[in-house]
Amino acid sequence: MAIKRSLKTLRNWAGLHLFLGITSFLMVVPFFWVFLTSFKRSTEIVTETPRLLPMVWTLENYLELPKVAPFVRFFLNSIIVSGVSTVFIAFGSAACGYVFAKYRFRGKDFLFFLVISTILIPLQTYIVPLYLLTWKLGWINSYQGLIFPLIIMSSGIFFLRQNIMSIPDELIDAARVDGASEWKVFLSIILPLSLSPIAAISIVNWVYTWSLFIWPLIVANSTEMFTMELGLMYFQREYAVDYGGIMAACVITLLPVLVVFLIFRTRIIEGVAFTGMKH
Amino acid sequence: MDGVATQRSGAGSRLRRSQMGFLWGIVMPVIALFIIIRVIPILVVLLMSFTNFNMIRPLVRFLPYQNFLRLFGDPNFVTAFVNSTEFVLIAVPLEILLGLAFAIYLHRKVRFESLYETLYFLPYIVPMVPSAIIWKWIYAPGTYGLANYLLDQLGFPRVGWMSTPQISLLAVIGIHVWKQLGFFVIVFLVGLKNIPTSVREAAVVDGATPWKVTRYVDLPLLKPVILFGVVMATIWAWSAFTEVYIMSQGTDISTGAEIQVMVTRIYAEGFLYFNMGYASAISFVLFIVSLLFVGLQFRLFRVESA
Repeated sequence: MAIKRSLKTLRNWAGLHLFLGITSFLMVVPFFWVFLTSFKRSTEIVTETPRLLPMVWTLENYLELPKVAPFVRFFLNSIIVSGVSTVFIAFGSAACGYVFAKYRFRGKDFLFFLVISTILIPLQTYIVPLYLLTWKLGWINSYQGLIFPLIIMSSGIFFLRQNIMSIPDELIDAARVDGASEWKVFLSIILPLSLSPIAAISIVNWVYTWSLFIWPLIVANSTEMFTMELGLMYFQREYAVDYGGIMAACVITLLPVLVVFLIFRTRIIEGVAFTGMKH
Repeated sequence: MDGVATQRSGAGSRLRRSQMGFLWGIVMPVIALFIIIRVIPILVVLLMSFTNFNMIRPLVRFLPYQNFLRLFGDPNFVTAFVNSTEFVLIAVPLEILLGLAFAIYLHRKVRFESLYETLYFLPYIVPMVPSAIIWKWIYAPGTYGLANYLLDQLGFPRVGWMSTPQISLLAVIGIHVWKQLGFFVIVFLVGLKNIPTSVREAAVVDGATPWKVTRYVDLPLLKPVILFGVVMATIWAWSAFTEVYIMSQGTDISTGAEIQVMVTRIYAEGFLYFNMGYASAISFVLFIVSLLFVGLQFRLFRVESA
């Protein structure tokens, strides 16, 4: 009886791990495939009998990349866009989160509603007026144009507000009684006590802006302003037969995000579960 | 909103001068940005949909219904609308059901939970452009592509992933589901973890099997989270763009016009032909259908729980 039961438990256990193992492995098969392919010679890539591992490991595909397209420039552009955006988001979300959590004034609820109400509306739907605005400002094909729609984040403010609410009022009041200005309160109490949620929001925003495609596609129209995503897309279109090069370019676009994800895994999962990685 | 009760400023309801400075110095500019970048463009797109606005020809006329009438006779739009509808009807149930299944299994106190969780989540976090390009390579014709090679090895006929329009659309939906699935696994898993263990223990004491616990305890309590998931999945499926755009680009593909969706139409009309009034009309329709779907989902969930 006891043996029978433990056998059954073992079978359930094995079945569960088989199911989870196979399905989760299938999710990441494309990444392994592209990674291995990027080290193959072109004759091994376009073949009727593909092999899993390269017969000869080569870095050729990677070394050729900077010669055919300015990928270093694309990479730096992406860093600038997502970096500047993230600084704005981190600071703005904390400041607004503080005010919405701790201030009391007339119209606060309305302002909060204004910030939150657009959370579900994707950028794609109002992209035409946003483009016209950028055009009127003379920011087409510039860093300002690429960045400015990305410096606000509804869910970031919401997330910070929830966290700052749990900071005791006594702490803030004590500082105020001591004559600290609001700036001092914000910088020396609110910011240090909110580092963890600010980090979560910043990483999530960095990943989001790094991955954004439709906005750069419309605003950047010369190669110098291309981000990684855009550069990769054009490269793929122009050199459609250079599979080795395309795969290597895919790997270097994926790699920064993968590295950041593996380092900050828990923070990112926490942040995404809350924000959905949307602005 | 557990913090609401403690939401109180020691300074009473009047803001002190320093607070006013902080409010107007940082927070109001941020809110102004929200109005300029989000609220106004959203209102403008609704207004523009009733005009013939065009960047090349600056004479603007008010068209009370012509744009919308034109949509019905525009074969490109009709294709895109039908495709988007198919996109939503296939992607949303798949994402929710698979997401629930994986989350429920992961929640059974398995070992390596965080490893599985990481693997499921990985596609969601990485950018769409390289992901879609990789899939395009997997879908490549002949047996160059992994998909056909595996079908060949298993003795199945090869599939024209990128040459048969109906299959191409399903292939794109496949990419979308693969990419978004991780989000739903995580959200449902967090939801399951938030259900108090005492509720579940009570059911087990009463002799419920694991499946009964899932069916009669977890799922009903998870309902608000599932509704949230359904709403997000629907909005994302209606506004899919990058995967479709990538899949319909380049010389290695023979289905472009057949697999277009709503947002690729907005992009083409607005930024390839500069018919911005007409593009806005498509946005307007996109708003309305998303809103209808979401409204319907709220109703369905309420009726079921009543």
